Formats: sequence, structure tokens, C-alpha cells
Amino acid sequence: MPLKWVFHWQPNAGTTVNSQMLTEVSQCAESINGVKEGRWKATLTFYKPMFRDQAVPAEYPRDFLGISLPEQPNRYYFIIRSQKIVLEADSSIQMIMEKLQSYKSRVSLTFEGFQYQLGDFQLRVGKVAPSASENLRGIVLEVEYLPLSSMEKSRQILDGFVEIWQEAMSKRSLPGHFMHIEPNFAEFGLSDHYTSQHTAVQYATVMAQLISAVQTAQAKVAWWE
Amino acid sequence: MECVVQGIIETQHVEALEILLQGLCGVHRERLRIHESCLKSSPNLGLVASEVRVLCDLEQPEPTWIVRHIGGAMRGSGAEQISVLVRTMVESKVSKNVLRLFYALGYKLDHELLRVGFAFHFQRGASITVTVSSVNKMLKLHATDEAVPVTPGIQLVEVTAPASSENYSEVAAAVSSFCEYLAPLLHLSKPGTSTGVVPTAAAAAASLMSDAGVTT
Repeated sequence: MPLKWVFHWQPNAGTTVNSQMLTEVSQCAESINGVKEGRWKATLTFYKPMFRDQAVPAEYPRDFLGISLPEQPNRYYFIIRSQKIVLEADSSIQMIMEKLQSYKSRVSLTFEGFQYQLGDFQLRVGKVAPSASENLRGIVLEVEYLPLSSMEKSRQILDGFVEIWQEAMSKRSLPGHFMHIEPNFAEFGLSDHYTSQHTAVQYATVMAQLISAVQTAQAKVAWWE
Repeated sequence: MECVVQGIIETQHVEALEILLQGLCGVHRERLRIHESCLKSSPNLGLVASEVRVLCDLEQPEPTWIVRHIGGAMRGSGAEQISVLVRTMVESKVSKNVLRLFYALGYKLDHELLRVGFAFHFQRGASITVTVSSVNKMLKLHATDEAVPVTPGIQLVEVTAPASSENYSEVAAAVSSFCEYLAPLLHLSKPGTSTGVVPTAAAAAASLMSDAGVTT
């Protein structure tokens, strides 16, 4: 399948993301002749372990999350980033997790917005918000290059597109920039040939970045709401 | 949900059973080689103890994986009147590192089995699957090449059909009706209520083999 890079908005120190920035980013996509297509939406859920006896200490992953992606409506993805595990499953795996009652959903976040077609590229601009509220917590950008599935072969082409994009963005003088951190896919057992599992790993990486940008524990809790 | 019955048959009569099934189902059999890992939650994990099965189909060119959760059986007077077991069952195809994920989540391997045999999938009032397999245990962890039968000389026959809360009666009736054709060779009943091998099996098997032109 076509490969994509997932970027997250990194605000400058002392600034926070707001909906005006999201509007500017969307306008930027249109300014480089992006043709607005439909809406898109992905959902990310953090799971927490349930214990019968709260007093008993236990070592369980704190970064166990599940992701649904719009391009794979019948699939669900589990990631434990700290242990470099990604699993692709049928959507029915969510029902299995509910029946097991060992892990429950702690919080869900939604990534949603519009997608734009630019020649061989497809852009998705999306806001990040808790599923239960409209509070904007971040902005993501997906850049998908449709003709290729090999990450190595397409690297230069994507670099070239990103240069054009960053230049267009710089004209808007927004207090921040889009960052792309490429996960070490090989550590997750993934190959050079791009798949939706790669996308799931990128979203997990983006989440880790968004959370780490929130400094205090108190602020982290507030971030979810 | 699914409807399930099970029975046992002596290995010496499996060939006759295959002939009978071939005639009844009208489809070719598929070879079966499934590595089944039963995982249980660690103590204290979960509001209740939980169990999940991970099945790896070793017969495919590339092994394929399924996670299966088997829930409680239907209970009550209605359930008692049905001769098949009706129980909740949810399964999901998964990618290959499913065991790593569940171990990381706090599940432990309780036991593992290797089922070797064949299966028939066909439509007869419901979508029915009949599997005939020897159940083998591994002497070393995950050593599927060194498995030995749990009950030498005896194989397990399972008849299953997916069902929903709207149609389980019809599915159960279809399964029951089909099982009657197998009665001369084996008795199928709800899991947990085994009735052993049937006394007519040897004669029925001989008759089937003779009709098929197979000399014994």
C-alpha cells in the first residue's frame, strides 16, 4: 500500500495549539493547489489493566493502546510501544478484549479533519481531541505518496515534498512547525514495504510526542479531558 | 455464538468416517494442523480470571493466526432441551506476534496442543464444519515437530456451526439432524458429556469400507 509520513504540530516554547492554527494549516494545503476531498477520522484508545486487588503491585505496560484507521475499517491495531509490539487484528478483537475484562479503555482520542489531493500525494490535516470533548490538543498531518510502497525508494521524493510544504507554511508565520519522527520500524518487526501497521506505529509515536510535550503530571491529566 | 457437539472415534475407523463424510458433505476435505495455545491471565489481572486461545494454522504456506474467546454456554430449560451446546464465541484473525502481545499484557501459557487431522466445511441447513483430529501434546515448549497423542488410538470429532441469538435454534436443529447420519460410527454430544465409542462402529466402518471398495 502507499506509504505515508505522519507529522505532529510542535508548538514553539510557551505557545499552545489553537483552532486558528488548524485553519491556517488547512488553507496552506489549499494554497499549494490541494483539492479538498472528504473527511477522515482515526481513533486512538489507551487501555489500562484492571486488578482484583489494588494493593498488589504489578508490572504491566502503561502504553498499551489500540488504533482504528479509516483506510482499514474492518481492522484494529494494538501497540505496546515500549516493547516494540504491533499487532494487526480484525475489529472483533475489541469485543474479545471486552469479554476478557483484563484491560479497559482509559481514554480515547480522535484524529479528524479533511483530506486533500495534490497530484501523486494525498494530505490529511487533522485535529487531535479527546473523543468526549472538542478541546483541541494537537494537529497532525499525513503525507501519503500514492505510487510507491517502499520507504527507501520514496524517501527523496517525500523529502522534496516536505520542503515545498514547509516553505508554504513558513509564509504563515505560525508559532511552531510540523515534525516527523520516523520510528525504527525494524524494531517492530516491520519491513521496508509499507503497511497499515507502519501507520499505527507512527500514530503511537506521535502520541508519545504529544504527551511528552506536556510537562507536569497535573497538566498531563488535564490534557486528556 | 456457535453450536457445538463432540465425540470420539477409534483411529482405525477414521478412514470409514472420512468416506461417510465425503459422501454426506459433497466437498473435499481440508488437511488440518493447528497449534493451539491456551493462555490464562496472571493472578490478580482482570476483574475475573480470563482465558483466551491462540490458534496457529500450520497447514498454510505461511502460518496464519487466530485469537478465539469461548464464553459461557447457554443455560436454562431451553438449553437443556437442545441436544447441542450453544455458547458465545468470538474470534479474530491476527498478525503473527499475537503471543508476544498477550505475554506482555500479563497472560501466561497454560497448555498447548497440536491438532492433526482433517476438516469438512459445507452447507446443510447451516454453515457446518466437521473436524476429525488427533489431539497431541508437545514434550518441549512449542515443539510441534515432537508432539505425541494425548489419547493414542482415539481421535476427536467436533461438529460446529456459527449461530446468532436470532437463529441458534435452527442452527442447532441442522447440526443435530446432520449428526444422526454419523450415529452408526460415533455418538456426538455436548462437550463434557462424553459417551465413549459406539458399539456399532466396527460393523459400520467395515460396511463403509466395503462399499467404497477398500480392502482391509
